[in-house]
Amino acid sequence: MAAEAKLSHTAAMILQAISAGYVYGFSIMEMTGLPSGTVYPAMRRLERDDLIRSQWEKQSIADSEQRPPRKYYRLTASGKTTLEASRKRYPLLERLISSQEANSL
Amino acid sequence: MKPSQDRALCAMQNGMLCLVSILVRAGQRAEWRREWRSELWHVRRSLSEDGRLSWAAQREIAAFCLGSLQDASCLRRECRPSPQPRISGAAGQCLLRLSTVLAVCFVVASLLPGVDAERDPARFQVKPGVIFIQKFSSPDSFGPSISPALFRDWKNTRQRYFDEFAFYRTLHEKAVLPARRATDWTVTHASLNLFAMLGLQLPFDPAPSSESDELPPVILSHDSWRRDFAYAPDVTGRIIHIGNRIGRIAGVMPYGIWRLPDSPDAWFLERDSQLTHPSVDARGYLVAHLSRVGQAWMTGTSVPISVRGDTDDDDVEFYGVSFAGRLRGPWGMFEFALILSLLALPAVTSVTLGESNYSSHRPSRKRTLLRWAFLAAKFFLIAAIAYFASLDLAWWNSSNYSPLAEFSQLAWAFTICLFGFRWALADQRQRCPVCLRRVTHPAQVGLASRTFLGWNGTEMICMGGHTLLHVPSLPTSWFGGQRWLYLDTSWEFLFADSGAW
Repeated sequence: MAAEAKLSHTAAMILQAISAGYVYGFSIMEMTGLPSGTVYPAMRRLERDDLIRSQWEKQSIADSEQRPPRKYYRLTASGKTTLEASRKRYPLLERLISSQEANSL
Repeated sequence: MKPSQDRALCAMQNGMLCLVSILVRAGQRAEWRREWRSELWHVRRSLSEDGRLSWAAQREIAAFCLGSLQDASCLRRECRPSPQPRISGAAGQCLLRLSTVLAVCFVVASLLPGVDAERDPARFQVKPGVIFIQKFSSPDSFGPSISPALFRDWKNTRQRYFDEFAFYRTLHEKAVLPARRATDWTVTHASLNLFAMLGLQLPFDPAPSSESDELPPVILSHDSWRRDFAYAPDVTGRIIHIGNRIGRIAGVMPYGIWRLPDSPDAWFLERDSQLTHPSVDARGYLVAHLSRVGQAWMTGTSVPISVRGDTDDDDVEFYGVSFAGRLRGPWGMFEFALILSLLALPAVTSVTLGESNYSSHRPSRKRTLLRWAFLAAKFFLIAAIAYFASLDLAWWNSSNYSPLAEFSQLAWAFTICLFGFRWALADQRQRCPVCLRRVTHPAQVGLASRTFLGWNGTEMICMGGHTLLHVPSLPTSWFGGQRWLYLDTSWEFLFADSGAW
């Protein structure tokens, strides 16, 4: 697929991070080590290309924890397909960001 | 870090996010700001230890906030509408450019007083039947050739062909202006009846108010009124010394009215007795009004006049010239230049449009009509540009009528029309008959050494994918002129912009 071939390493890392459970901007920044000026614009492009989708956390949950609500990101079906293709292209991607780390956070 | 410092920095960080959010499009701004504020809150919380932030943590937060600038800029770039593909050489663009040139020429023409005066021929038309008399032997057709004595003799003799005469001659004299300032002027001494005989529409009466008024009237030219009187509104009635004479200013000659030879700074109107006083060497101009018999004899624009002396050797030959040819205005001159340029056009370019084509395909009748209408529009705009541009170039520095300026207008109008029409035809030959866009991307095809094996020349393509134009480098008996090759619709998907205009 043309879209898969165009995905940069940074975008693939972000997709992998989301897939691994790092579902909001700051956690992706911490995991990948990328600055905010790279992560947020990349996420907007991924969302524009329909590879990820964002959703605001419910206000009631945020209120109960006395914090502002967060915007969470998750992979779409095409995002998952693209990530699979990117893993073949970047074989170390899974080793860099594994699901276990996210779950342990 | 003290809590007060932390609060101040927190306020600065929030303020920065607010400022940066201005870059984001209004529809997305609220959500963008909400996300970044939320993220900032979580960043601050994750970096704080026991509710306090160190300076190192503040630096990290500042770096995080700076990332918002990149994010907002990126979002702004993506929201910007993608630029439309640039359509170069479109017919509309060509007409727009010509119209712009025309508008500029028109604006310049309306700003130049010389052009303004020229464009209203009614202002300088003289009465019918008025002619200008010159000596036949005069070397200069517009030079002074008539002596005051001759004027006096003709005026005092009963004439069959003329019923009125006026005379004027021009001198360089010292003029003393009301502020005791002396200046050198070119002054035309003229008969009192000169302006009345010419029938020029002056906004004042140039004749003296009464017989008892001893001071002769002086009429200032528009230039001298501007230069020496600074457009003084109360100039009428002032006393002025010209040479050894004193006159009273009767008024200012309106701009561009005077079309006779010489461009004086002032007209000094005198009685005939004073006008015919000077030496025998003085020469001037004679203006006459034809009687009914004279008008019947005057069939063309000029007429020979011979005055018989006592012997054949004493015969003097004159000729009378009508003012009609001299006062036809700029439009008549332009018409002449336009006709000349159309006649000369086949000498500088081929007037065919290279209509031959390889295929049986022909553009629709509507397209053909549009193509001809486009060519006609270009010709019209070029002619209009030539009219105004020639006026601008000829009269930009001329305040009074001069044959040189008139000739200059003719030359400019002819040149612009001729080369403008040549360009219009050359441009038309390189426009796709379907969409009227100029063909581009010239490619050399073939070799000159193999002319007899295959054509060689230049191939150009229409960016709408309608046609190919083949122009031979070396015209042969089987490929003499350019040819259009019409492409079928299967080519269209290769071209993004197949629009015509």
